[in-house]
Amino acid sequence: MPILYGFLINAILGALLSGFSLALFSPYVTLRRISYLGEALSHIAFAGIAIALITGLNFTITTLAFVILVALAIGRLAERRKLDETNSITIFLSVSMALGIVLISLKRGYTFDLSSYLFGNVLMVNATDLISLAVMATLNAIFISVFYKQLFYLTYNPEIARVFRVPTQLTNRLFLILLAANIVISLKTAGIILVSAQLILPAAIAANLTRKFRSVLVICLAAAVISSLGGFALSWWLNLPTGATIVILEFFLYLLSLSLRKKF
Amino acid sequence: MIEIKQVNYSLNSKAILENIDLKITDAEFVAIIGPNGAGKSTLIKLMIGLLDMQSGSIHIDGEDHQSWLRHNSIGYLPQREEYDRNFPATALDIVLLGRMGSLKPGKRFSQEDRKIALSAMEETGCQNLQKSVISNLSGGEFQRVLLARAIATGSKYLILDEPEASIDRPGVQSFFALLKKLNQQGKTIITISHDLHTLTDYCSFLVCLNKTLHCHTQTELLNAEIIHKTFGEAVHLIEKEY
Repeated sequence: MPILYGFLINAILGALLSGFSLALFSPYVTLRRISYLGEALSHIAFAGIAIALITGLNFTITTLAFVILVALAIGRLAERRKLDETNSITIFLSVSMALGIVLISLKRGYTFDLSSYLFGNVLMVNATDLISLAVMATLNAIFISVFYKQLFYLTYNPEIARVFRVPTQLTNRLFLILLAANIVISLKTAGIILVSAQLILPAAIAANLTRKFRSVLVICLAAAVISSLGGFALSWWLNLPTGATIVILEFFLYLLSLSLRKKF
Repeated sequence: MIEIKQVNYSLNSKAILENIDLKITDAEFVAIIGPNGAGKSTLIKLMIGLLDMQSGSIHIDGEDHQSWLRHNSIGYLPQREEYDRNFPATALDIVLLGRMGSLKPGKRFSQEDRKIALSAMEETGCQNLQKSVISNLSGGEFQRVLLARAIATGSKYLILDEPEASIDRPGVQSFFALLKKLNQQGKTIITISHDLHTLTDYCSFLVCLNKTLHCHTQTELLNAEIIHKTFGEAVHLIEKEY
């Protein structure tokens, strides 16, 4: 029994911490219309995983370094206006996926666990994962409280924010580094599908319920907690896959918020 | 004082601005006129550092403009401000952006910042909108909020890119009257405009631009010949009653 409880507590904490971190980024990602970047970065991680597999380097560190570098490259191209942001994201996404597939094909006899990559496995969360998730959650909370105003105006309009001397370049780079790190760290627990859902759905829910930025953040966090805990409980009782159940519950919360929107 | 020397700017090998030399003295009310594609917005964007210089120089108060802009805010009002219609910001949030130059990460706006922002809103007649969500504002109301933000910077320079574009006709007169009042308080106003009739009533200095500088003169000297030189054959002066 204690072993069972231990793994259950790890799983619940893992789901909560990754939900919390991604929900904090949710309003910024959706309002800046770069929610596609979140999904793309989780696919781009595939090439990082493949590089680690071929080189024998540490999986997390290699993937983290690769995804952060690509995120910064996308940001730099957009800043310099060399390439439209959506186009540059798509190019990096497809090249990274192609690179990942080529590298994995070189590793003979290796079969890639697609299901775990797509949906993650919250039940496999260990103490090290929990520490990484807790460190990320703390870093996110510090970043968002320190750069609260800078992020607010960067999200509103980066060009105008720059004219009024908001340090947009520094804020945006820190934002991209942390977003990339969150995605890589959450991937094992949540998988691509849940990472994307938890980056977009909380802010979509909040947008239906409030027009105040602070309330948006609070609603995002509440949506993440309710769907993580609720989804976890439902999947346990009904014997369903945890990640997918969390996504479906969060979608129901979105539908509920949509029906409440009319009352505003 | 803003001093522009030998500024050239091109985009995809097409010249947008050629050999621009211009001196704008303090407390002047300057209007930049010219046809579409004449390089008016480009010139303004170079002044405020939104575009990188390709050649020539711009000095503000005797200092290279990029270096001046690092430690001074400029009151800018864009032609059209892009933002997500669902963006959860109030009018006061937008005006407070004008105070961001002095706000370090981790700090909150001071009472003084709020006081300055509210007084700028009072000046532009939009203090009653401070708690309104921006998506609920009309074009004219939003324009007053953006002017309040430019004033809230405390800068002596106000640079406006076609401010009348989203205001209805009667609103244009009162908007320019407000700019004139600010000018009389000592602000240097530089505005792009198409409304020649309004300009002659309010501006003191005219810059006619069409890739090159056609003239810069006192407004009262504006005549059909200058207009013809700047805009070409296609434009005729039409007297309008408001």
